[in-house]
Amino acid sequence: MLKLIASRLLQMLLIMVVVSLLLFLIFDSDKFKKQIAVAELGGFAVSALSEQDYEAWLEKKGLNVAFYERYAKWASGVAHGNLGRSFEKNEPVLSLVAERLTNTGILAFWVFALMIPLSLGLGIVAGMKEGSKRDRVVSFVAVFTTSLPEIATAIIVTVVFALGLRWVPANSSMVNGWDWRQLVLPVMTLVLYDFGYVARMTRASMAEVMTSQYIRTAVLKGLPYRRVIMRHALRNALIAPFTIIVLQLNWLLSGVVVVEVFFQYAGFGKLLLDAALFGDVYVIQAATLVAVCVAVVSQIISDVGYTLLNPRIRFG
Amino acid sequence: MASRKPGQSDHPVVHSAFAQMRSGKLDRREFIRTAALLGTSATAAYAMAGLKSPANAAGMPFSPDDPKAKMGGILKIAMAVQKMEDPATYSWVQMSNQSRHTLEYLAMTGPDNVTRPMLAESWTASPDLKTWTFVLRKGVMWHTGEEFTTEHVAWNFNRWLDPKTASSNVGLSVCSALVEETGEKDAKGKAIKRVAKNAIEIVDRYTIRLNLNKPVLSAPEDLYNYPAAMAHPGFKAPISDNMVGTGPFQLVTMKVGDRCILRKVKTMADGKPFTYWGGPVYLDEIHYYNFDADNQLNGFASGDVDGVYDFNVEQMDLAKSLPGVIHIARTAQTICCRMRCDTKPFDDKRVRQAIVMSVDNSKVKSLVYTTGGDVGENHHVAPVHPDYFALPPLKRDIEGAKKLLKEAGFPNGIEVTIDVGNTDGPWHQTACEAMRDQMKDAGITLKLNVIPGAKYWEIWDKTTFGCTAWTHRPLGTMVMSLGYRTGVPWNESHYSNPAFDKALDAAEATLDVAARKEKLGVAEKILQDDAVMILPLFRPIYTIVAKAVNGYVGHPTQYHQFNKVWKG
Repeated sequence: MLKLIASRLLQMLLIMVVVSLLLFLIFDSDKFKKQIAVAELGGFAVSALSEQDYEAWLEKKGLNVAFYERYAKWASGVAHGNLGRSFEKNEPVLSLVAERLTNTGILAFWVFALMIPLSLGLGIVAGMKEGSKRDRVVSFVAVFTTSLPEIATAIIVTVVFALGLRWVPANSSMVNGWDWRQLVLPVMTLVLYDFGYVARMTRASMAEVMTSQYIRTAVLKGLPYRRVIMRHALRNALIAPFTIIVLQLNWLLSGVVVVEVFFQYAGFGKLLLDAALFGDVYVIQAATLVAVCVAVVSQIISDVGYTLLNPRIRFG
Repeated sequence: MASRKPGQSDHPVVHSAFAQMRSGKLDRREFIRTAALLGTSATAAYAMAGLKSPANAAGMPFSPDDPKAKMGGILKIAMAVQKMEDPATYSWVQMSNQSRHTLEYLAMTGPDNVTRPMLAESWTASPDLKTWTFVLRKGVMWHTGEEFTTEHVAWNFNRWLDPKTASSNVGLSVCSALVEETGEKDAKGKAIKRVAKNAIEIVDRYTIRLNLNKPVLSAPEDLYNYPAAMAHPGFKAPISDNMVGTGPFQLVTMKVGDRCILRKVKTMADGKPFTYWGGPVYLDEIHYYNFDADNQLNGFASGDVDGVYDFNVEQMDLAKSLPGVIHIARTAQTICCRMRCDTKPFDDKRVRQAIVMSVDNSKVKSLVYTTGGDVGENHHVAPVHPDYFALPPLKRDIEGAKKLLKEAGFPNGIEVTIDVGNTDGPWHQTACEAMRDQMKDAGITLKLNVIPGAKYWEIWDKTTFGCTAWTHRPLGTMVMSLGYRTGVPWNESHYSNPAFDKALDAAEATLDVAARKEKLGVAEKILQDDAVMILPLFRPIYTIVAKAVNGYVGHPTQYHQFNKVWKG
């Protein structure tokens, strides 16, 4: 087990090095340097700059230094906990990323807190009796909500609950301080989008378990149905959904750009989008490192959890 | 009827403009604007035009004090909160709004298009409009405790004109008349320029003279261009780290993409109380909160903010359903769908003409903007410009377009692609889609390449066919000089026609206001006939503020001025 974790962490470090090197290389191109100049000075001003003055601007920004020198300096900074300074936002990348990660973490927490019981509950209920009316209703709702793109769901819930019924605010910008009501719509959008997928996987897993020999034996032995489900079926049926749920961490980190931008929620996804549009290389680098880290860690959690849940898998 | 005549102290051009106004050759609004630019007080100019002057405090660019006004309160505005690096290189109006209540300008153009003295107390122009003398207000203090003087003004001018600063101010008429060519060229072949000797002359602590190498009528108006804010000589980029100004507010919190908080200045750096030169200011704080353009109205609907920077035409129905006051401003903001005149297939004038002829601008305008706005005439001068000369209305001619295409070697039609960045909102794309549908009739297939706004600004001056947003500028000559004169940096179409340059020179050198319009009409016609662009419309600006916000007036350039705004 420890060997697995160590090997995964080593892989993570390697991925980080390769990805950061590639990103630095890409952002070292003249095109991206020009992108930063345009974002900072404006397209009109950049077109009026002479070659000499443009070079002077690059020097002022430290962008005329050779790629490997900049990379070495940055990597040394990262090793000492300094992720650099954002070109666009003019603040340390570390505090910026930490703040946005916290916001996205809060969003993710509530999405998980609602989505896990909802999807597992409905998936189990549906899978207990495959083909029943209950199963068909759950399956239809799950497929329907998952089929709708996040942006469509976001628009629908905003029109209905914010602009129509006026129950909750239409945006999540938190301009007047933290307001839990402003989390309702983004959480609702994400839960609606995601629960169907997990519920369908849980349903399939549960349905498969319910057809297995040992469940049939348990039922024929005369065990109460409730006990059969709780003691025998659930543990095996939850193995696949557990893996899927843990892997949703990745999606909640950087796959929620649409929702964060739509609701103006200052999260990690929105930070990444802003940075990409500006060409804010140090923020992109830091965000990528975090994304790689979360991807690998969630994979490790998934593997370890799978091992613990499934006694057939053991490491020597 | 005019109730007052120009006096001896008024500029000779004011006398001739007055005569033209009385003979009906000049609009009264235009007379007021011209007289105010030439140093006549706005109140006197309004009196000469026989119109009631808007209530302005005596000698001030702001509205008078409101006896009903309540002191205190926070005004919250939804707007993109952008990086503030250097006020001289601001590239978005939003940046300037964030600092407008701290960094002030020598002059201020009001919503009535009349320019009044701000940090300058008055100005005079020589009869040939080549020498402008600005007298500063006395007792204007920086937040550091120093007095604002002509040394600081000269420092700002010299910085704008330094090529290393990369300020777009160099394109202003007044600035371009302060520089001369050195005779050398840079690696790109651009002429290197420097400030002409004695162009910026400090007369005394409060008087500064600009000695121009060509007549400029718009000098004070130019000095309210958004990157022309007066910065303190101690300035170091980024300005947001230490913003020292003369205005009534100071920056207390700045988080790009999140919020910009301004608080009323009470004491200066030396501990002495700060007295604002512009009289009482009612608000305690101004808060800008970051909202993307499409989301600002949602923020207003949720009650998070008291007003928005602007909203799209598609959101008008939603805005009307909300409790608030909608302001609509007529502007010269536009999109210029311009073709590169030196690149195939647009180097053939017949192709450009066919494309232009296949579009009915009035239909595009009425489709995109149902409320407000003006129809464009493919020459970039807007009806709202005081020097606009009305040409005969354009007519769509499908058969003519087909014939021209055939002559140009495209008997079966042509396929062209336009880059669209939606840099000013999704209406760019809507307008281009409407043009695409119209062009089909002439056998022209227009493909839209929609790209992110930030990406568009990287290629705006390189793409062969692009839809570029141009902001409002107060004069038609100004926008033509910036965008279409041979070889100027922002000539994105690479248009070059000596006849056009000559006509524009002639218009700019004409001091007589009515004659200037006619001469600009010649330039308009040349540009229109050369079919450089489809410029379908001039957009209106829509904004909304809560009913509790008093004293708010929409500005055609979206410049915020909240000194006399208060919350009930």
